[in-house]
This record gives sequence, structure tokens and C-alpha cells, in this order.
Amino acid sequence: MLIEYYPQGSFIHRLDVRTKILGFFVITAASFCFENPLINFLIIILLWFMLSSMNSPMSKVYGIIKSLLPIFLIMLIITGFTYPASKFGYEENKRIIFSLLPNNGMPLTTGGLYYGLTLVLRIFVMVFASSIITFSTSIEDILQFLKKIKMPHQLAFVIATGIRFIPTMQAKSEMIREAQMARGAEFGKGGIVKKIKSYIPVLIPMIVDSIRMSDNLAIAMLNRGFGSMKNTTNLTEIKMKSIDYLICVITLVLLMIVLYAKSKNIGAL
Amino acid sequence: MNNTMERGTIKVDVRKYQYENGIDDTLRDLNFDIKKGEFVGLMGRTGAGKTTTLMLLNGLIPHFFEGDFDGTVFSNSMNTLRYRVQTLSRFVGCVMQDPETQIFGITVEKDVAFGPSNLAIEKSRIAEIIDESLDVVGLNGYKYRISTELSGGEKQRLTIAGILAMEPEILVLDEPTSELDPEGRKEIYKLLKKLVNEKNVTVFISGHDSEEMREFTDRIIVLDKGTVVWNGLPEVLFNDKELAEKYGIMPIDKNSDELAQSNMIVETQLIKEDLSKEEKIIIEAKDLSYEYENGRQALKNINLKIYEGEFVSLIGKNGAGKTTFSKQINGLLKPKNGTILINGFDIKNNSTAELSKEIGYVFQNPDHQIFSSTVYDEVEYGLKRLKLTENEREERVKDALDFVGLSNQNKRHPFTLGKGERQKLAVASILAMKPKILVIDEPTTGQDWNGTKRMMEIMKKLNSEGTTLITITHNLKLALEYSDRIIKFSDGKVESNFINKKVIKENVN
Repeated sequence: MLIEYYPQGSFIHRLDVRTKILGFFVITAASFCFENPLINFLIIILLWFMLSSMNSPMSKVYGIIKSLLPIFLIMLIITGFTYPASKFGYEENKRIIFSLLPNNGMPLTTGGLYYGLTLVLRIFVMVFASSIITFSTSIEDILQFLKKIKMPHQLAFVIATGIRFIPTMQAKSEMIREAQMARGAEFGKGGIVKKIKSYIPVLIPMIVDSIRMSDNLAIAMLNRGFGSMKNTTNLTEIKMKSIDYLICVITLVLLMIVLYAKSKNIGAL
Repeated sequence: MNNTMERGTIKVDVRKYQYENGIDDTLRDLNFDIKKGEFVGLMGRTGAGKTTTLMLLNGLIPHFFEGDFDGTVFSNSMNTLRYRVQTLSRFVGCVMQDPETQIFGITVEKDVAFGPSNLAIEKSRIAEIIDESLDVVGLNGYKYRISTELSGGEKQRLTIAGILAMEPEILVLDEPTSELDPEGRKEIYKLLKKLVNEKNVTVFISGHDSEEMREFTDRIIVLDKGTVVWNGLPEVLFNDKELAEKYGIMPIDKNSDELAQSNMIVETQLIKEDLSKEEKIIIEAKDLSYEYENGRQALKNINLKIYEGEFVSLIGKNGAGKTTFSKQINGLLKPKNGTILINGFDIKNNSTAELSKEIGYVFQNPDHQIFSSTVYDEVEYGLKRLKLTENEREERVKDALDFVGLSNQNKRHPFTLGKGERQKLAVASILAMKPKILVIDEPTTGQDWNGTKRMMEIMKKLNSEGTTLITITHNLKLALEYSDRIIKFSDGKVESNFINKKVIKENVN
């Protein structure tokens, strides 16, 4: 995963996973309701404050944003040039800065630029908002949430076990790579076919090992009584506290305000 | 007749069991009983049917591995044919070989809770069970640790805690100590003894640890070719050298430890005087330090010389720096500070692939390198990277397979070979490249006494033909018997550097 859980005792960490997910949806909805980049920018400032209040590793977030920069640029250019001026309600947004083709063909409008900026900022919003959830919520809480929305126990177990085995498999593949390097293997050199072929000495032991491991895992599950009862004990019961209810109410009120504003055409271009 | 049977007892009466694939060990006329609160060891050579026997006890055989089964097994007075594995597992706890595939929880606490939560035990009780089980295995204070970040020994304890959490009457363990250092091994046996004494749990454990088996168990059952060939007191078995060796078990010399000590001299100076005159330095570490990405200082200022043609054993606890040091020799890890010289050349700019022509490295687990569909192809793989003619390659493969004693197997699929054979294949695939220096990491892990001795003989022969050998081992006895020098690592440093007097004397004569 790109971003992982950072255990900290912040206010947001202590909120229930459901409160956080509701917040995530309302904030994304707000971002999609308003076309004005200024409002989206304000949302980002709010999210940035939340992230820093959690002691988050901001470099991870910036890393993702950085990798998206070329896409942002393309989005800005395309929306800037392709949005016809007639789409905008406000006069100043219909202003054409310059045209690529004669007779006002392919015009770059102020509104188009603004709209492109909004699209970019919406991605920022989603990256920031989802980071808040993943930084502040443990896998167990997310699994509890999946159970609450009636995902079958077995499926939730498969997801949890899968996550547990990511580091194990990474370590295995490293050991296999080392073993083959010690026999003179070199990876990823030469043409495309040679490159792919060079990984076969890693892939095959990896597959063989995984099959063996899955057999052993099945045995170990039986040894631990998996499936012996219809119900299992829920160890971490997620619980809505009064602060969660309060935050949820505030969030919903905010959603109302956003929808009302939207109906009054506030935040449009 | 079964009414008289107590809980916590085992009664096995199997006329025959054969796996569906027909390859793996077959059981025949297997009969034995175990009483409640007994601590019994199960021994015998690799392939004698130990794991298969243990899997009878909680019904994995015949429920999970179906095969051809004829017989009855009563575990905890329950006929295993009549109950599901999940049900039996509440009374008969099984710890299997590989700890990695028995840990389910992301944290230690969650993992211990996995069993009891499957049994729908009340949450408040589970919290108590977690503390109790972690206390028994000595992992107090580990509750919130991430399970993948534990050391090998800690993982092994965690798997035992996970089974204890289900409060079984019978505890079955399949070679739970094969990857541990001697200290870690002893800890596990001590812990089991405590369970027997304090909770009257029946313990049935398989393994090759002669010394611990003698010290801690009440009785040993020896298997050979799928049947019980000996059953009696540990002292009797281990003191009878002939009897033990007949079944592939390491015998115990009465005073082997003291004898061993007297053969060693704690003088590093001596080595220089004795050897440097005629012998050439082949590996030299100067102020070598290494730090892992997580900040762990694995090697601290190592200064070490290894001479051409030496047979060196690296010993020390898990995590002491033995493997980290060996990986510097073939460039898998590069020093953070200091240098490592091979034949007088600094290798900091050489890749492992380049170095592999001179320096062979055999890893602990042969399955991490085997990928070809025949034994022959597997050995040939490394040779394809050297510029050799087809004839030369063929000759080298043949020689290497001859050397390890696999020459008549060259058309076989590697995965149909036994573990000991696969280890030999891994060695052959490196030997074929004719390295001047050979590093072998734990050449005897999980092998029986015969396999161990054969592997050591192979190494001795190689060494006598001029290869400089470096082996990482936990077995001091073997190190003393075969190597010229023993280097002990401790906490990233060379703690001691012994010359083995006995071997030197032999060389002089």
C-alpha cells in the first residue's frame, strides 16, 4: 500500500472509523459541488490542518502529489482550451485569454483555467482526505467496518491474512533474489525478452514456495480451530462515542449547507 | 473398551497409511500409547514418518491428507475418525514446523487471540488467556509488537502461545527448534517441561536435538520406515552409540563438552604464527561495519583474516552478525564503513554476479534457489553464465553431482527429492562453478544425523582439495570436529577466534 497506518494519539486517531468515513464522503461531495477553485482551495487548507494535527508524515503525501504533477498539467491544459466560454455563467469567466487557431478556435478561457484548477484541486482533496483515513485508522478498525457493512467473515479474514503476509512475501522474494545472485544471476538486463526471462529463477521458487505456504496455512488454520463455530468472538468492537455523534451531526449540517449553497449557485463558475 | 481411557492420553493403532501421491513416507503397523502428563520425544531419520505420525493425532490425517488409511487413533480419548480437525484442535494442539505460516495476527496479541476467538470464547476471558499464554512462553510485554518484526525464536514462541491459548490437553510439536540457536532450543524445551509439570499437559515432540531430548523428555519413541522400532528411556538410547546411529540419531558422548573445551586455545595470536608463514590471506576484513536500513548495527568494526585453504566455522547466537558478515564476502551486502579484501583486492565495486565466479554461497533453504525441472539443469544454470563450451559444462555438472553423490539422479525433478538431497543439489549447483571460496549457511538444518555427517564429509573433502570453506553453524560439536578455526560472533563483534588444536595436530602428522 502507498500509505500506511501511523499510530498516534491525536483527536482524529481516536474517532470511530465510521465518523471518519462519513467525513471523507461529505468533504469529497463538497469538493464536487463547488466549481470555484477558491472554495476547493479552502477545503484543502482545512484538510492540511487536519493532517498536521495528526503528526502525519507529510513527505509521503507530497510524494504522491509529486508523482501526479504531469497529469495535473495535462488536465489544466486540456480543460483550459476545450471548455467553451458559453458554459460559464459569469461574464469574467467567458473572457478569452488567447486562441490557438484563427477566428477564436481553441480559445483559452479564464473559466476553463479555473475549472481545470478545480479538477486538480479535487484530486488533492481526495489524496489528502484518504491519507487522513489511512494514517489514522488501523487495519483492524477497517476490517471491523467491513464486517459492520455485512462483509462475510471469511472474506474479511482473507483480506487481513493477505495484509499480514505482505512483509513475509517481500522477505521471501529478497532471499530468493540473493540466492540466485550468488549463482551469478543478474536481473533486468538486456532486451525485453531477456529481461523477463531473467526473473524466472525468482518467480518459480516464489510460486512453489507460495503453494507450499498456502497448504501449511490451511493446516495451521484448522489447528487453530478456524470454522469450528458458527460465530467467532469480535475482539475489537468499534464504538461510536458521544464525540463521534457530535462530529457526525456537524458533518451532516455542513452537508446541508453545501447542498443549499449549491442550489443557490454559489461556488459556480 | 475405550471407556477406561483418560483425557490427555494418546493411543495409536494404525495398520497402514499412505499419502495420495504415493511418494511421501508410508506408515505401517504403527502402535504406541502415551499417558497423560508424559513428555515424549519422537525421533528417527528424515523420512521415517515423524511428521506423518504427528498429523494422525489431531485428525489432519486422514481428514486433510486423505490417502489410504487403515487403523484407529484415539487422541484425548476421542476417535479421530469421528471428529473434525477443528473440533479435535480444541483438545490436541499442534505446532507445525514453519512458524511463519502459523502466525495470522498482525500483532502478537491478535495472533494469540485467533484460536480462542474461533472457539467463540468470551472476550473478557480471551484477554486473560492472552496474558497467560504470553507469560508461559516468556513473551510478556510483546502484546502490541508487530508479528512480522519478531526474531525467529520469538516467532517460534508465539506459535506455541497461539496453540496454548486454546488450552489443549495434549500438545504436539513438529521439530519446533530446527532453526533456533542452542540457547533458544533449550528455552523451548524448558518451557514445555514447565507445562508438563505445572499444568499436567501431555507433550509429544519430534526433533533431532539429542541433548535436549535426553535432558528433558521422559521417554523416546524411535521411528524407522513408518513404524516404531524402539521405545524407551532417553538415557538408554543416547548412551548406546550403535543403537542411536543405526536409526540416524546423534549419540551423546559423555564428556563431549569438556573434551571440546580442552581442544581449543583462546589465542588469536597463535593463528598468525602458525599459519601466516606459509598460508596466503584470502579474505581480509578491515574495520568492517554494517548497519541495516532500520538502524540496527549488525557489524561493528570487524577485523578478521581468513587464510587460503582454511575451514572456518562461524558460530554465535541468532542475530549476532554471522550471516551479515558472510554476505559481505560475496557482495550481497556492501560495508557501510571499512573494507573487505578478497585476494588483496577491495571488492566494493564488484557485483555479486561477478564475484560468484570466485565465491560460492549456499543458502540455508535450498528451496529458495531450485527452479529447474531436472537436477541436471539446476546445476547447469550457474555455468551458463561462465563462458564454457557445452562439453566443459557437461563435465562440470557430472563432476559436481558425483561429488555430492547425486549422479544417478540427474533426470529427476528436484522437488521429488528429499530435503537432504535438495540441500546437496544446492551445494552441487555452486560447486560446479568451482569457487575458490565457499560459504555454506547452516548446512545441516533440519537434517538427521546421517545427513548431517554426509554433508560434513562433503565439505571436508572439498576443503582437502583446496577450497577455502566458511560455514555458519549452531552445532559446536560439528564445528570442533571438522573445522580448523572457530570464530564466535556476538552482538556484531568477533567475540573470540579459536584455533582448533585437534585439527592442527592432525595436519602436522
